[in-house]
Amino acid sequence: MITIEKVSKHYGSFQVLTDCSTRVAKGEVVVVCGPSGSGKSTLIKCVNGLEPFQAGTITVNGVSVGDPKTNLSKLRSHVGMVFQHFELFPHMSITDNLTIAQEKVLGRNKDEARDKGLKLLDRVGLKAHAAKFPGQLSGGQQQRVAIARALAMDPICMLFDEPTSALDPEMINEVLDVMVELAQEGMTMMCVTHEMGFARKVANRVIFMDKGQIVEDDSKDAFFGAPRSERARQFLAKILQH
Amino acid sequence: MNYEFDWSSIPGALPFLWEGMKVSLEITVIAVIFGIVWGTLLAMMRLSPVKPLAMFAAGYVNLFRAIPLVMVLLWFFLIVPQVLRGAFNLDPNTDVRLTSAMIGFALFESAYYSEIIRAGIQSVPKGQVSAASALGMSYAQAMRLVVLPQAFRNMVPLLLTQAIVLFQDTSLVYVSALADFFGAAYKVGDRDGRLVELLLFAGAVYFVLCFSLSQVVRRLQKRMAMV
Amino acid sequence: MSYNWNWGIFGNPVPTGDTTYLGWMLSGLQTTVLLSLSAWVIALALGSLMGVLRTVPHKGLSGIAAAYVEVFRNIPLLVQLFIWYFVLPEVLPFGLGERFKQDLDPVTQQFVSAMVCLGFFTSARVCEQVRSGINALPRGQKNAGLALGFTLPQTYRYVLLPMAFRLVVPPLTSEFLNIFKNSAVCSTIGLLELAAQGRQLVDYTAQPYESFIAVTVLYLIINIVVMLLMRVIETRSRVPGYIGGK
Repeated sequence: MITIEKVSKHYGSFQVLTDCSTRVAKGEVVVVCGPSGSGKSTLIKCVNGLEPFQAGTITVNGVSVGDPKTNLSKLRSHVGMVFQHFELFPHMSITDNLTIAQEKVLGRNKDEARDKGLKLLDRVGLKAHAAKFPGQLSGGQQQRVAIARALAMDPICMLFDEPTSALDPEMINEVLDVMVELAQEGMTMMCVTHEMGFARKVANRVIFMDKGQIVEDDSKDAFFGAPRSERARQFLAKILQH
Repeated sequence: MNYEFDWSSIPGALPFLWEGMKVSLEITVIAVIFGIVWGTLLAMMRLSPVKPLAMFAAGYVNLFRAIPLVMVLLWFFLIVPQVLRGAFNLDPNTDVRLTSAMIGFALFESAYYSEIIRAGIQSVPKGQVSAASALGMSYAQAMRLVVLPQAFRNMVPLLLTQAIVLFQDTSLVYVSALADFFGAAYKVGDRDGRLVELLLFAGAVYFVLCFSLSQVVRRLQKRMAMV
Repeated sequence: MSYNWNWGIFGNPVPTGDTTYLGWMLSGLQTTVLLSLSAWVIALALGSLMGVLRTVPHKGLSGIAAAYVEVFRNIPLLVQLFIWYFVLPEVLPFGLGERFKQDLDPVTQQFVSAMVCLGFFTSARVCEQVRSGINALPRGQKNAGLALGFTLPQTYRYVLLPMAFRLVVPPLTSEFLNIFKNSAVCSTIGLLELAAQGRQLVDYTAQPYESFIAVTVLYLIINIVVMLLMRVIETRSRVPGYIGGK
């Protein structure tokens, strides 16, 4: 589904990503972790072309992201993404947030978009809030709406960029529960997150990044059982202290 | 104080003054509408990744912001009449002062509007554009559906405040001897030898209008801050 | 439409013969600069005073300052100028107006009216900048000053104002630029500053484009010089490690 091959990226002389390669198969859930500044957010944003990269190739469902001929808008319309700071559109009601891209990008009609949006809103347990505005919801609720917004586009895969790191601890689980459910339904997912409980529960593989490089790319059991690198071991030890 | 005030020339002059006020308002409305439209385009050019467009917009805005409005108006009284006459084959005696003034104001104020709008666009968090792109929206769609609506909402008070400033600035069409409200007041005062009264009256009218409008803007700002 | 460009016109002597057209232009520039600088001094002094008054915990004083700002902000500059120039000398008490009209030559009358007008007009804007500068400081700053035993005026003098002024250097730059641009309005009362000289040149030389281009370029140069100057001040007044001090 997603193939990342020898991707490198730099801002001026600062190397952000070095030679990153991995692949995510259909139905697979891959968790990307690593210390802050390790390039994991940048990597995931390269997947749908929000961040350009200078070397290597990324293909999503057979379409090359870095190819200037690629219609990025079209590609992105079926790759769902969830952001750290939710990024709901504050000037629109929840319903409009869910329908705007369906109508304007996919060309669905109003009723169809609305039905779809409300169904997904119900699925994340927020049907009652359809008429509210993002500013009236808690962070956890906003993030669930953001997931519903991405799902409304019928994505072939989902990218999560630290979806819980801007949330208060008591709200993290409500978002993770939605993500777990998605994973169990067979959605292809690439998640940048520090939630190791989530990784243990649903991940097929765990990627550990440090200083712009992919240091470990292992099955879940191998990663948690016996990480091969010293840096990954230290990272895990630190996470557990929280 | 030995000056004897005599306000008697004002009541009779009110219809004439009202005609002047209509000219002032007309220039203001046209310049505000044009200024916001052209200013928005300039702001989008300036923020666009297309270098020549960005440079053109930056040059335009900086040039107009660096020269006094009086100079701009003088330029327009000098050039625009010639251009208009040439373009439309007008009679040399046609009065194009009002048109020149409107064009001058509109082009000048759009530079100021463009700066307000640019700041408004930049005040919308970058993540919003990312989120719109991630949903598959094109740059134009992201601008139109996500960024501009938020930007304009934040900017409404500033745009209105600029409109009040513009309304005050219209008095400068005095340099072209055009009878806007101030020009009319001056003419009446000059004719009746009552310049003192007419100038004070004009000042009071401008104050009442602009002050009440600015209070409305302030209230609007407070209401918006609460949401 | 053909236009005969003639840039040599600036070297020609004026009708009175005592200088060239370039001389007129430069004397206009000199008046503009002198007028703007002297008005700026008034604006800074009055504006700072009013700005402080707006923030003091005294309803009467802050009310006066607020009213001051509203009056000068809501009347067009041109109207204010005409009131200073045509109205005030008529209505000033104690024969002050008479003395203004009789003892001063017309050029000085124009200059003084223009200077005072621009100074007061700009001071209202300076006041708002100074006020927002003071209000932008963390609340704890004032309390910290008072807790150290400073009186309120001392707190302003040593704690609040030094910081507030540094914060408002960038917005004051644009006010400083505005005063040069606004000074062009003073051509309407007959003061021969830069814009007025430009107009006079058009009348005398019938070479409108050269005159206006020259005047416009001079305004651009003033702009650039002021911006460079303020950038130096901004760098010098920067506080290490403070927001905006990047």
